[in-house]
Amino acid sequence: MSFRDILNSGKFVVTAEVGPQKGTDIKEMHHHMELLKGKLDAVNVTDNQSAVMRICSLAVCKIAMEHGLEPILQMTCRDRNRIALQSDLLGASVLGIKNVLCMTGDHVTAGDHKSAKPVYDIESVQLLKAVDGLNNGRDMSGNEMKGPTDFLQGAVVTPEANPIEPQLIKFGKKVKAGAKFFQTQAIYDIDKFKEFMRHARKFPVKVLAGFVVLKSAGMANFLNNNVPGIRVPQSLIDELKAAGKEKALETGMDITARHIRQLKEEKICDGVHIMAIGMEDKVPVIMGKAGLL
Amino acid sequence: MIISKKKDFRHLMDNIGRYNNFFLIGCSECASLCGTGGEPEIKELTEALKAQGKSVSGGFVAKTGCQVLGTKVELKKFKNEVDSADCILIMSCGAGTQAAVELYEDKAVYPTNDSLFLGNMTRFQMFDERCSLCGECIIDMTGGICPVTTCPKGLLNGPCGGCNDGNCEVSPDIKCAWVKIYERMKRLDRLQELCETTIEAKDWSKAQKPRNHYAKEEKKK
Repeated sequence: MSFRDILNSGKFVVTAEVGPQKGTDIKEMHHHMELLKGKLDAVNVTDNQSAVMRICSLAVCKIAMEHGLEPILQMTCRDRNRIALQSDLLGASVLGIKNVLCMTGDHVTAGDHKSAKPVYDIESVQLLKAVDGLNNGRDMSGNEMKGPTDFLQGAVVTPEANPIEPQLIKFGKKVKAGAKFFQTQAIYDIDKFKEFMRHARKFPVKVLAGFVVLKSAGMANFLNNNVPGIRVPQSLIDELKAAGKEKALETGMDITARHIRQLKEEKICDGVHIMAIGMEDKVPVIMGKAGLL
Repeated sequence: MIISKKKDFRHLMDNIGRYNNFFLIGCSECASLCGTGGEPEIKELTEALKAQGKSVSGGFVAKTGCQVLGTKVELKKFKNEVDSADCILIMSCGAGTQAAVELYEDKAVYPTNDSLFLGNMTRFQMFDERCSLCGECIIDMTGGICPVTTCPKGLLNGPCGGCNDGNCEVSPDIKCAWVKIYERMKRLDRLQELCETTIEAKDWSKAQKPRNHYAKEEKKK
């Protein structure tokens, strides 16, 4: 069943991500894809994440398909103008890629080519509209194309953004622009996430809650201090501290699994998106702990 | 106004080292307010050049250095000083420098400043960029605050995920442009409009370089 069909079936959806690497030795990536094969409903392939130059998302999506994984092509507006974005979307379409996640993209100052010219010719809302146009056989200039695309387009949202109101306005605009599903920034406070979902449920979209596994109390503090839109509650930091250094990662995975179970059992959202960030091999472990395998 | 900044003096001397006698042209508009091209700066640069063993034949503050014909008229009375100089130094913006290049086809013309941006003076000689001259103003839809300029990504439909407690992730010392827009639209009771308007992709053909604009002909039309 395709990711689109699974989303629409009402099943609790599980996605994870593969981060392409810098360089052409992709043995480890093949290994991670083999580990994830058959376990996920789709796998996101990030687009030069954190503005660090790596293998392009499109090529790695194709490799993921060869491993039997259904890819979600992440597309940021940072590095390409509207011509390049649409051209890559057509390319993705003819390669058989069915899902695209439209995002603005971290600024180049976050990455490893800080003197690069940031593009942002268009942004996430406009990219969603562009995908909708391509799906209807027209490009951004209104030209009719020989054959439309057939993408399921998604977007991102930060449920714990502060202030939240402008973020919710943008969420509404993304829905209006054609977003069919959302994958969220990492969440750690289920009660606060429930609040966000009360708002999101007013819209006809699927929401997958984002998870980043905490490896230690130090990492939790780092996220709180350095990553906008991420709030790890003190109770979880205490839990990680109490576990001690050796058991911290195990505890972090238990926390993620516990949260995923709660979301699924209480039917709070439509699925989860696990961002392993270099620990792709731990994704099946977390899924096992959460009862998803 | 056009915000300018003095070039590092040593760097300037590397550029103009081969010349010996200079004529200096400042500007009474932006460059004077920026402290880069007024009377005090002309005096200061004259002394600095002399200290390097150079001569200065003269100098003056043009009323509007980028106004080519006006500056040409003002320069008439400095004909001898300009003729005796082997290099003209322009102490305003890149437009001022190129006005002089246009007036003196056969003479060396060098800028003493770097031109930075179109900005507002918020306090004495403190400048913030507020307008990118994108060619099609959209701030009628954003409460009069320009996201093209004040958001590092130029986002047109709301904040990115990098908004950090109301501040910008890229420039942490500034407030998120979209939080500012949200707050202002709320004060003006225009939130409904903000929610309902999706701003279309910008038409960058409006900013096709080099631009020109003939107001007189527009008026005739």
